[in-house]
Amino acid sequence: MADKTLTVGAPGIDVEVLPARGRVVNSKWTRDLLTFLMVFGPGLIVMVADNDAGAVSTYSQAGAQYGTHLLWIVLLLLPVTYFIQEMVVRLGIATGKGHAAMIYQRFGKWWGLFSLIDLEAVNFLTLVTEFAAIHLALNKMGVDPRYGVPMAAAALVFIVLSGSYRRWERTVVLLCLLDFAWFVIAFRVGPPIAQIVKHSLVPTMPPGGITPDLMFLVIAIVGTTIAPWQLFFQQSCIADKRLRFADIKWARLDTFVGACITITAAACMMIVGTASHAHGFRFTDPAQMAVDIGKFAGPLMRNALLLLMINAAVLGTTAISLSSAWAYGEVRGWPHSLQLPWREAPGFYALYLISVAAAAGIVLIPRAPLQLMILGVQVLAGVILPSAIIFLQLLLNDKELLGEHANKPWNNWVNWTIIVVLFILSLILAAQVAAPNLFPSATGGPIT
Amino acid sequence: MMEETKMTTKTDHYVVIHPLDDVPETKVDTESLGPMSMTRSVKLSLMSLRAYLILMVLLVIYHVVILAR
Repeated sequence: MADKTLTVGAPGIDVEVLPARGRVVNSKWTRDLLTFLMVFGPGLIVMVADNDAGAVSTYSQAGAQYGTHLLWIVLLLLPVTYFIQEMVVRLGIATGKGHAAMIYQRFGKWWGLFSLIDLEAVNFLTLVTEFAAIHLALNKMGVDPRYGVPMAAAALVFIVLSGSYRRWERTVVLLCLLDFAWFVIAFRVGPPIAQIVKHSLVPTMPPGGITPDLMFLVIAIVGTTIAPWQLFFQQSCIADKRLRFADIKWARLDTFVGACITITAAACMMIVGTASHAHGFRFTDPAQMAVDIGKFAGPLMRNALLLLMINAAVLGTTAISLSSAWAYGEVRGWPHSLQLPWREAPGFYALYLISVAAAAGIVLIPRAPLQLMILGVQVLAGVILPSAIIFLQLLLNDKELLGEHANKPWNNWVNWTIIVVLFILSLILAAQVAAPNLFPSATGGPIT
Repeated sequence: MMEETKMTTKTDHYVVIHPLDDVPETKVDTESLGPMSMTRSVKLSLMSLRAYLILMVLLVIYHVVILAR
C-alpha cells in the first residue's frame, strides 16, 4: 500500500483518475492504521470462531478438572496456531483461490474429492454440535428452543444474504469483539492473578501427574485449537476479500492479533471453569456451569455466560458453514462469493442455507443421536487434520506456485515439528475414540 | 493494483484503498501449472497417507455402525 501516493497535479500535467472509493490521508502512520483496519477481519474471525461451542466445553472442563494447571499448554498453542494460519495467508494472497481449489488443482481429483467430502462431513457434524449448544443454553435461559433454534438459524442465514462481504465481515467482527466479555468474567470470578501468571508461564502438572484422562484432555485442547475447517475458511475468506500482495504483512498482523485474542479467551474459559470447581460444583456441561456460577456470582454473570456460549456457537456456525460453501463452490466451479447477490450464486448460498437449516433441524429432533455425532466430529477431525496440514505444507514448499512467498527453511522446521506432534496426538485421539478399550484406564470417556 | 501517481507538489498524500474497491491484481495462474511435480519419496508418503486415511475412515464407519445398533 505504500506505493499508493497521490499528489495534486500542476497545471498542464496529466492527472490519473483516483480510485472511486480510496481514502486520502496525510501521514504514513494514518495510512498504515487505515490499511490494517481495511485488511483486518479474516484472521480475527477464523481465530475467534475457533473458540466455538466445543471449545467452550473443552476449556471449561479442563479448568473444572485441573484448575489453572493447563494454562501453559494453551499459551504454547499460540505460536502453533499462528504459524499454521500464516501459511494459509500467504497461499490465499498469492493464488487468490481457496484451499479446496488448490488441493484439487495441484494434487488431482482423488485428493481433491477426498478432502472435500471429509471437510463437508466433519463440518456438518460440527454444525450439529454448535446448534446442540445453542439448544442447551436457550433451555437454561428459559427460552423455548423450538422457537430459539430456528430464530438463530434464520439470523445466521440473514447475515450472509446481504450480497456484501463487508456487511457480513463487520457483523461477524462485532460478534468476535463480544469475546472480550470472557476477560471481564474471568477477572471477576477467577483465582488470584499471581496464580494465573505462574501457571501460564511455568509448565506444571496437576496433582496426580500424567493420567490417561489428562492426556486425552490435552489432546482435546490441541484438537479444538487447531481445526481443519480453519485452513479452508481463512484462505477462501482472503480470496473473497481479494487481499493483495501488499497486504501480506497486515494480514499476518490480523492473524496474530486474532491468535492472541482467541488464546487469551481460551485461557479465560479455563479460569471460569476453575472458579466453578473452586465453589464445589462438578462439571457436566458449560450451560450447567453457567447456572452454577450464577449461584455465587449472580444472575447477570449466569446470563452473560449463556449468551457467550450462544455467541461462540453462532460464530462457529457462520465460519464453518461458509468454509463448506466456499470449498464446494470452488471445486464445482460455481460462483462463490459473499460479494454476489444470491441470484448470482444460488448454489453457494443454497449450500450454506442447507447446512445451517439441516443442522438446526437435527437438534430439534427428539432423541437425535447427538453423542454419536460428537464422537464422529472428534474422529473425523482427527483423521482430516494431519492430512490437511501436510497438503498445506507441500503447497507452501511449491516454489512454482508461490515463488518468493514459499516457505523458508526455518518455516519448514517449525511446521514439520508441529505436523509430527499433531499427527501423533490425532492418531491417539482417533484410536481412543474409535476403540476405547485400547486405553482401559481412561475413565472420562470421549472428551467433547 | 493502482499505479503510483506522482506529480509536482510540495506535500505528499496517501490513498488507501479497500481491497474490494481496488483493481484486481494478477495472481499466480494456478490452472496452467497443472498437477504438482513430486519426488518419489513424496509420492510414497502420500500413498501411505492415502492408505492410513482409508483405514481410519473404514474404522470410523465400523465403529459408528456398531454404536448405532
